[in-house]
Amino acid sequence: MLMYGLVASAVRERGDSWLIGESETLKQVAITTPRDALYGRIVEEVAELATQELAYDGKGNHSATNTVFFLQTDDSGRPPLWVGPANNSPFIDAIRRLKIREHTAVSIRMAGWRSPFRVVAADLDPQGDAGAGTGRIYLGLLDTDAQKLLFDLLLWFFFGWICMVGFGFLTAILGLRRTLKRVDAITTAAANIDTADLSSRVASASQPNDEVARLARTFNTMLDRISASVNQLRSLTDSVAHDMKSPITSVRGGLEAALSTDDVDLSREYVAKALDHLDRLSEIVTTSLDVAEAEAGALRLRRERMDLSELVGRVAELYAPAFADRHQILTTYAQDSIEVSVDPRFLTRLLSNLMENELRYAGEGAHIEFRLSAIDGLATISVQDDGPGFPPELQNQIFQRFVKGHASQGYGLGLAFVKAVACAHGGAAHAANRTPLAGVQILIEIPMVLPSENLHKTIHDETLQGIAS
Amino acid sequence: MRLLVVEDDNTIRDFLIRALTEGGFRVDACAEGKEAERLAVEGVHDALVVDLTLPDMDGLDLIERLRAQGVSAPVLILSARRSVDERILGLERGGDDYLTKPFAVAEVLARLRALLRRSTPGQPEATRLRVADLELDLIRREAHRDGIELQLTQQEFALLEYLCRNAGRVVTRAMVLDHVWKMRIDTSTNIVDVHIHRLRNKVDKEAARPLIRTMRGVGYVLKD
Repeated sequence: MLMYGLVASAVRERGDSWLIGESETLKQVAITTPRDALYGRIVEEVAELATQELAYDGKGNHSATNTVFFLQTDDSGRPPLWVGPANNSPFIDAIRRLKIREHTAVSIRMAGWRSPFRVVAADLDPQGDAGAGTGRIYLGLLDTDAQKLLFDLLLWFFFGWICMVGFGFLTAILGLRRTLKRVDAITTAAANIDTADLSSRVASASQPNDEVARLARTFNTMLDRISASVNQLRSLTDSVAHDMKSPITSVRGGLEAALSTDDVDLSREYVAKALDHLDRLSEIVTTSLDVAEAEAGALRLRRERMDLSELVGRVAELYAPAFADRHQILTTYAQDSIEVSVDPRFLTRLLSNLMENELRYAGEGAHIEFRLSAIDGLATISVQDDGPGFPPELQNQIFQRFVKGHASQGYGLGLAFVKAVACAHGGAAHAANRTPLAGVQILIEIPMVLPSENLHKTIHDETLQGIAS
Repeated sequence: MRLLVVEDDNTIRDFLIRALTEGGFRVDACAEGKEAERLAVEGVHDALVVDLTLPDMDGLDLIERLRAQGVSAPVLILSARRSVDERILGLERGGDDYLTKPFAVAEVLARLRALLRRSTPGQPEATRLRVADLELDLIRREAHRDGIELQLTQQEFALLEYLCRNAGRVVTRAMVLDHVWKMRIDTSTNIVDVHIHRLRNKVDKEAARPLIRTMRGVGYVLKD
């Protein structure tokens, strides 16, 4: 619309400039030509020339639409001079009514004419000699061509505008359809998910890298995590079922035996043993659930800021008598204070598990070292002993659930729990035999609190993101 | 001593009633929260045993309501929920101790007795504990037997203090881990036994009368 306005006014201006130019010419003629009998004829001729100039349209066509009139009014009482259409009185009346400023074109509508006339005026000043006198000349041009031109222009602009809008619309619709198709792909993938089949994923194109692509990627990642959790759960239920069957069988056997004997004391013994097995069973279930929760990333940590050195010291103190009883020598090396942000209950169990393992498997008289250090924001707990080490055939499975040596009396969950807790805190666990030396080497890493975090004994609720295995 | 047991599982409730009765208590029992509230607000019970999963309301809500209505008797919570968070929550909401299922009857009895000892009115906070010729100075953290000072570590003193406070009552391994060391670790550990053993060496070795006794399969008790 703006464009149209600009172009239209430019067209208008050009037309008006011609008119004004011509009127000036005629004005000069009127001023310089003495007003005598010839004057009228001269002006008439010039006007006619101008008319014809236009009428001929530059194309050699006699265009009837170019109609020009010339009017000269005179204050000195002489009759007005008119060149133009025959019936001049409505013109003269109309012009007389209007106050047309010099060199400003106005449009005048005349009855009986299709288009308005574009009229300019020029004042004659009394400088001319030979009594040209004061007065005005008016030059008018029928506006049909200009009108037609402007109208056509308007049509073209309108058409152009429609096209643009239509094009834009089309582009928008196509773009939207494409995006919606991509969204639909995600919806379909989601609908295909079934607990039996978690393999559904969205083929995410790398480009365009927009919100939809991000949604697709996030969706896939989410499914990966869920799939991992479900698999963990499945493997847990498998192994728990397997490991629980032994104690359950023992309980059953014991109670059956108790029923079948008449000896009261013997019966009681069987029952007591069955109770023991039940306790073991209970422990297996509880610990398995803890480990499974930790591994599946469902552990809720309540972090507190604390000194790891102090915690290790406390736990070591509790275990010291037990170590002493086995003639094992426990040495703790720790820096003065190592600030960490951890859940104290889980860390305590982690340390306790490590110590229990040493108690049970390092062997009588073994030397056991707990070494604490902090490097580059990572707190490290290193456990070393000179005992028999891990059974060689289990080297690769040390942290797996239910993996234990033949001689082991435990349930094989201790180190699995240790690793799960370390990972839950964003850390890691490593273990190996200290070849060629004797014994084991276990390394637990836990990220420390960075001073910039500026926690002040606050307690955080944290949900795991997932375990880097 | 009169107890109120709130437990919806019939089997567990029955065996609790039997065990507690055999343990010398008078036992009232019910299977749902509304009934429990009605009975508890009468205020005739010395302690309550409350299971958290009740059919008509959450056990923790029940305890809160009872506390709000002025029931101040100690509450032993029984729950299958074993996470540490649940335990803390239970104790914050008005419970006095928390046992996870499955539990041994002896454990229930031991813990109840410990709770009841604490709630006996008219007992000021003692600064000294005394059982037979064993004396504990709680401010100076010193223990004397027959006038002779015992050389105890901090851990050992804490353990002895707990046994003394529960003198005459059985203290289970789990109770020691929970209340003395406040460590929730695998109860199949034997470090409690080891500590008791050492303590006993220091406390009972020279003396004429052994005070620390073992209750097989259950725990330990300090008594004359």
